[in-house]
Amino acid sequence: MASQNNSIGYILIEGSETQIRGAALITDAKGFPLDFARTEPLRPDHLARILYGDSFGKYAKEKLILESLLDAIEIQPQLWICTDSDILEPLRADSKIKTVLLEESPHVPLEAAGHIETTAEPGVFFIQANANGAPFRAEFPNGIRPEEIQQAAACLAEAAQSMNILEPFTRLQKALNFLATGRS
Amino acid sequence: MPFGGVRDFIARHVVGDVKVYKIDDFNMDPPEIIKTQEHIETFSMRPKIEIEVSKPFDFEKKIECVARRVKFLREPVSSRNIKIKYFVKQDVKTQKLSFNKKIKTYSQLKQIQALPQERQNVIKLQRKKPDVASNEIILACYGPIVEGAVEKIVLNKQNGTLLVWYKKGSRQFKARFVYLIRRLGMGSKPEWRWI
Repeated sequence: MASQNNSIGYILIEGSETQIRGAALITDAKGFPLDFARTEPLRPDHLARILYGDSFGKYAKEKLILESLLDAIEIQPQLWICTDSDILEPLRADSKIKTVLLEESPHVPLEAAGHIETTAEPGVFFIQANANGAPFRAEFPNGIRPEEIQQAAACLAEAAQSMNILEPFTRLQKALNFLATGRS
Repeated sequence: MPFGGVRDFIARHVVGDVKVYKIDDFNMDPPEIIKTQEHIETFSMRPKIEIEVSKPFDFEKKIECVARRVKFLREPVSSRNIKIKYFVKQDVKTQKLSFNKKIKTYSQLKQIQALPQERQNVIKLQRKKPDVASNEIILACYGPIVEGAVEKIVLNKQNGTLLVWYKKGSRQFKARFVYLIRRLGMGSKPEWRWI
């Protein structure tokens, strides 16, 4: 797997009880796609849902969709961003790359881009990526080192100078819808 | 009441002695006894029913009942609240249930490279607005956008977002904001300005 500086990886896994699918996108510092992979929809039958019970969704996300996507991706990003807490830990464990769950927050803007503020939740921080707007709520996997958080914040702040950090998730969603149904 | 009757009346109530007459001439034939013992053949209305299914959960709430190769009922009956004993044939094929397989993935990089990036109007979020002439007003602000890599920009008038297509393979990374500025006055059109 080739590594590319300043590239960011996005993982989106979505679905319901009857169908789960996922996609991974690697972009350069301006958000242009460098690598992309999507899975075919996974449709568990009735018997599988009975046997696996409530754990099927988590199992499918972690073991089936995520591992397949990581196998298919050829470029190793500097940082993985996801929006699903179910895959935060396995994404970190499988990829061995810095991983963060990123969400928009209603928090007041921090002092400057790159600043980090702790929260009451363990492993959760506010990170001011760009100069304007609210900071992101950033959740890191258990056991992450402080210097890794600093590196992730610096990576986000650098990328935010030339791209909208969460915008690729919108494209991933559109791409999944378009490629699955032929309609965006 | 005749005398005999009076005597009996007094005797019944006072003495408790009632005269009983014996009838000697009561000759009747004994009743004929007819034996009704006959052999009655019985048929079981509960034949042994075997339910054949190739695998568990093969039927959907309805089962077909067969007794001695004859369909017991014309229509399948509901299996609800019925104890079902599986009679699995020897030649039934078994299928291992496995979800450890890898999911098929598709690359389709070209398709996603063709999708534009979307930029929201961030004029309200900007802490410091650029200086413009006194007769100009800023309508919208979009960014960050790498100006040198832009292939095409389209304003989505439906939701006010800006769609940006970048050139493939561009090595430009210096980003700026593009502003939609309107000059006050008759007949002037809004113009895009990179700042």
